[in-house]
Amino acid sequence: MSEVRLQVQNLCKTFGITKAVQNVSFNINKGEVHALIGENGSGKSTLTNMLTGIYSIDSGTFILDGKEIHPRNQVEANKEGVSIIVQELGTLDGLTVAENIFLGHEDMFVKFGIKNTNAMNRRATELLHQYGFDKIKASDPIENYNFEDRKLVEIVKATYFNPKIVVIDETTTALSQEGREELYKHMNRIRAEGNTVIFISHDLPEILDKSDTITILRDGVYIDTIKSADVDEDGLKKLMVGREVSGAYYRADYGEKISDEVVLSVKNVTVPGLIKNVNFDLHKGEILGFGGLSESGMHEIGKAIFGASYDREGSVTLADGTQINDIPTAIKHSIAYTSKDRDNESIVMNQSIGDNIVLPSLDDLANSAHLLSDKKLKEFANKFAVEMSVKMVNTDQFVSDLSGGNKQKVVLARWIGKDSDIVVLDSPTRGIDIKVKQDIYQLMDQMRKNGKSIIMISEELMELIGMCDRILIMKDGELNGELDRSPELNENLLISKMV
Amino acid sequence: MAENTAVKNESKEAQLAKASRMNMIRSILPVVGLVGIFLLFNILTGGGMVKSKNLLLSQVYVTVISAMGVFFIMTMGGLDFSQGSIMGMASIAVCMLSKYNIVLAILGGILTGAVIGAFNGFFYVNRKIKSFIVTICSMFLFRGVIKYLASDAPVAASMKVYDFDNMPFKLTLTLIVLVIGFVIFRFTKFGMYLKAIGAGEKAAMFAGIRTDRMKFLIYVLSGAITGLAAFLNVAKNGSATANAGNQLETQILIALVLGGMPISGGAKVRFSNIIVGSMLYVVLQNGLQMMGMSVQIQQLIQGVVFLVFVAIFADRQSLKVIK
Repeated sequence: MSEVRLQVQNLCKTFGITKAVQNVSFNINKGEVHALIGENGSGKSTLTNMLTGIYSIDSGTFILDGKEIHPRNQVEANKEGVSIIVQELGTLDGLTVAENIFLGHEDMFVKFGIKNTNAMNRRATELLHQYGFDKIKASDPIENYNFEDRKLVEIVKATYFNPKIVVIDETTTALSQEGREELYKHMNRIRAEGNTVIFISHDLPEILDKSDTITILRDGVYIDTIKSADVDEDGLKKLMVGREVSGAYYRADYGEKISDEVVLSVKNVTVPGLIKNVNFDLHKGEILGFGGLSESGMHEIGKAIFGASYDREGSVTLADGTQINDIPTAIKHSIAYTSKDRDNESIVMNQSIGDNIVLPSLDDLANSAHLLSDKKLKEFANKFAVEMSVKMVNTDQFVSDLSGGNKQKVVLARWIGKDSDIVVLDSPTRGIDIKVKQDIYQLMDQMRKNGKSIIMISEELMELIGMCDRILIMKDGELNGELDRSPELNENLLISKMV
Repeated sequence: MAENTAVKNESKEAQLAKASRMNMIRSILPVVGLVGIFLLFNILTGGGMVKSKNLLLSQVYVTVISAMGVFFIMTMGGLDFSQGSIMGMASIAVCMLSKYNIVLAILGGILTGAVIGAFNGFFYVNRKIKSFIVTICSMFLFRGVIKYLASDAPVAASMKVYDFDNMPFKLTLTLIVLVIGFVIFRFTKFGMYLKAIGAGEKAAMFAGIRTDRMKFLIYVLSGAITGLAAFLNVAKNGSATANAGNQLETQILIALVLGGMPISGGAKVRFSNIIVGSMLYVVLQNGLQMMGMSVQIQQLIQGVVFLVFVAIFADRQSLKVIK
């Protein structure tokens, strides 16, 4: 029997009148990877944010190694031996790599009130070397590095002082396969050293594979804690949703012939530093997948098609010969795009659900004198929000209050309302729970059957294999292979072309 | 379980109800403030304010028209501190041209304002400099030009401009401008686009809005609107001095904030902010004057009131998006 590391006792947290965490109690042991799962809004992040001092505790206690802890901020949490790697960027621009690693702990390098930058850089270089991240230089400004490398810096920052508990909050969804492997390596190391990882992820196979114990939350309420070995994916889904998740997850058909009709053709497209000389055709009614490592350039493909790339060379041409070079032209010719960076590029955060949905369709909704009627806008927004079953009180609600999955539904409602024929989806299910994921897959299948063409760019290999008619793999900015839909496709086959 | 979900939904609705109550308060407060302050000053001055309503109105026109342009700029998250200098330059242009032809003078004022607006827009959009930096620079730059042109002697306008210094003309012109602005802002995609840029520029661009073009055009438009207001300013004063339009930008900013405008723009702005705010500002200023307060005390009180209103109306979630 392993020893208890952390006791969570009768924990509660409310935001206004919303009960985010209700009377939750459970134990976490030493030397284990303890997964925390639940749908969006189930209280996982609220719980770990209280543990790491980001939120204050309303009532209840955390007992770490027999001692009650009340961290008021992350630095205090670190001193108690608790650290966190967050979902989005957790490093600060304007500071060097070393300054980011030691943020809040600069005292180590201060003598007589003066900070010894050299000593700090030396220590950071040692650590980076220890972790095998020699490509990152301690004295460089952090903004010299991309998302992926900055996450590596965060791994160092959160673990170099051998904390007793490391929280990893949905970090893997934002990482490429390579980055994930790196993270898993360190999770295993932390466990082997007798410390604990609290692991939050929406990727159930990953959870089952990487964790020892799983705790399930639903609507802020504790449901159960089980051993990973005793459960399978369907069992987890059932516990999370509270009912059997029935029906197919991905589409089930194989061997359907793709139409010969080309709706969009991409010729010699190059974006300096990102993609090189990419050529492909998109057919009517097909789901074309793009897979690759995060830095393979595949995310730029979506932007290039949508006319949103800066400095693009080559051509993107529709069946009728129209050239797509900017976003308004793309939208006018029935191209839709949802970005990987949902909060900045897909959704206007400080605006209502309704305004977000009608935004690209205003020209279609205006009367002959270019005037808009409130009633018409409201009806339009409501119709498509309801069609996408967005969880809301009404369309006047601001999107900034919605969960990730609901925001994505608003984005999709916008493009369904626009009735776009070519839909480019970049990481459409990123950070989204299974119920909404299933909705999105069904929607894609329905659109395909209605003759719409879809480009799906994704880092989740299983969804590419499950949904696409063809998968193009990108590597170092170039196309590196094409795979047709088949039941024989597996992840290893894709990975072999990616790296 | 079903019980829990019900509780959650209910609390969400209660939260929204609370939020909409806050919105109500925000929209009603400026109007209540206007009525309250008007009554207060009337009592304190023994009805003096009602008697001098023409004087009051005569000060509203210029502020309210110029404020409309700045309202558009602030809706999309920008700021403009060069309004006073635009007013000064346009007033000089109006004065000079009025000697030839009145219509030419009006158009010349509008054009001068638009050119300075384009100057602002160019550095803001093409050179990607924050709008408040750009407009503070052009405030000083064009104030310098005004002083050069009008220091030795004020630039006098033709006597004909006095024909237009009457209430029916000024009121009609102001109403026409406001109605056009209202219809365009409220019932065309223009207003929706402005609000979207203010609420999330990058996402607005990805929804198909030509954000750079919009931003540039709004500065041109705002300059042109203030250029039009310059004609009313000249009609009232008959000439343009080196101080023409001085501190108009502050007056507009205070007026809009008094009217309930969130300083970061975005989805929560209302067109009524312009009108209520301008009137509130003029009533406040004149009231203090009629009370016989010194300029120093007036400024002090204005500063306190301004701060209180900013604190009430600031949309703290989106404050970081001021451009």
